Amino acid sequence: MTIPAELKYTKEHEWVRVEGNVATFGISDHAQEALGDIVFVELPEIGRTVGAGEAYAVVESVKAVSDIYAPVAGEVIEVNGALESEPEKVNADPYGAGWIAKVKMSGDAVKLLTGDEYNTFLEE
Amino acid sequence: MIDVAANKLAKTPLHDEHVALGGKMVPFAGFEMPVQYPSGVLKEYHAVRDGGAGLFDISHMGQVRVTGADSLKFLQYVTTNDVSRLVDGQVQYSALLNESGAFIDDITIYRVSDNEYYLCINAANRRKDAAHLQTQTANFDVKVADESDETTLLALQGANAQALLQPLFSSSLEDIGYYHFAQGKIADVDAMISRTGYTGEDGFEIYIPNGIAVEVWKRLLAGGATPIGLAVRDMLRTEMGYALYGHEISDTVTPVEAKLMWVTKLDKGDFIGRNAVEARKAAGPKKRLIALQLTERGIPREHYKVFVDGEESGEVTSGMHSPMAGGVALAYVKPEHAKSGDLSVAIRNKYIPAERTTTPFVRSNVRK
Repeated sequence: MTIPAELKYTKEHEWVRVEGNVATFGISDHAQEALGDIVFVELPEIGRTVGAGEAYAVVESVKAVSDIYAPVAGEVIEVNGALESEPEKVNADPYGAGWIAKVKMSGDAVKLLTGDEYNTFLEE
Repeated sequence: MIDVAANKLAKTPLHDEHVALGGKMVPFAGFEMPVQYPSGVLKEYHAVRDGGAGLFDISHMGQVRVTGADSLKFLQYVTTNDVSRLVDGQVQYSALLNESGAFIDDITIYRVSDNEYYLCINAANRRKDAAHLQTQTANFDVKVADESDETTLLALQGANAQALLQPLFSSSLEDIGYYHFAQGKIADVDAMISRTGYTGEDGFEIYIPNGIAVEVWKRLLAGGATPIGLAVRDMLRTEMGYALYGHEISDTVTPVEAKLMWVTKLDKGDFIGRNAVEARKAAGPKKRLIALQLTERGIPREHYKVFVDGEESGEVTSGMHSPMAGGVALAYVKPEHAKSGDLSVAIRNKYIPAERTTTPFVRSNVRK
């Protein structure tokens, strides 16, 4: 299982990458592994404002439907449309081609963990 | 196995094998069963659908042997299908109904001889079925024996099933037709094999005593079979549109609603539930089972509401994302909506449009 050090994480198993005022969201390697084969991703509308900790996307595996929560608040400016036809990218490359959405940050964030802290959280 | 104490899950003889393979164990019908193995559900799915062979431990299912001079008369009375049509070595899909015409269970019946039959029943209904059958024996010269605890049941399904299984079995599998069976030996022990299954692929169900369960399981895996968990078993049966107790059928629906009149022979003579089914058929069903396919992206899941022309009409009983057919489902709707009206499924506050279709949702490869 990988936990890239340059990303931040939540206890709900999302990751966030911050570049300037833009944050990219996805789910962690641990999350994709726990969910199993992902067969459907429901992406947010571009322009939608999401609050920190608000459900902004839905990921479905064969057996389960999971809400995905925004680590930081902001306005959705881009979504990974490729996931509509290839949701399996979330399994194959959760931190890369499996990213879900980008938001223009508006400030608020849920408590974010460093990679080390997230790793410790997973081990607890 | 044996008695299931409160809150304690039973284990099949292959439990430790599932755990050793890394199977994710979940409670199912009172048993601890593998829902999937580490390679993932889609790999399992494709092993069965794309020319391989999938191996399923379905030992949680029950088996009941019916013997005695009145076996045929008894089974004609307690089941819906016409048992008199069976010849030795043939299998029949059928059902047990209550006096209201509703399902106690759906079952398969194996005719061993004119005074010996073997029934395969659902895990969740096993004790209920056995008790029901026992109480019905009073007026018949028959014996009903629950052999579930002694029996391991495996399913080997997929285009490669026969090639993989034949080296283990003493008789010719090629000679077993669809919904027929043969008795022979595996590892010098009595075994019964039928060309049946719930996947829509060619394949077999293998009845063996618990004593050789691990050996047979390991030999089939060594031969190249892929172990398959409950998740994919459910995907495969849903793609075929096959009914599952607790979903399409239950003690609140009759064969009229569930589209199972083809195994309910009203003209064969009296049987339990017959009059109620006939009355329901005459009055018209309260709801009808339909097959639907979403025309936009989405996964229609069990209990999602089905709308027709904007009106709530019923709900999904089994639904899935089919790798081949997309979002497909079986659903009950009001009778007047079975054939016409604009269909949609409510998925998280959205109405996803759907079309009526026919089952199977994907091509069946059973050997007819």
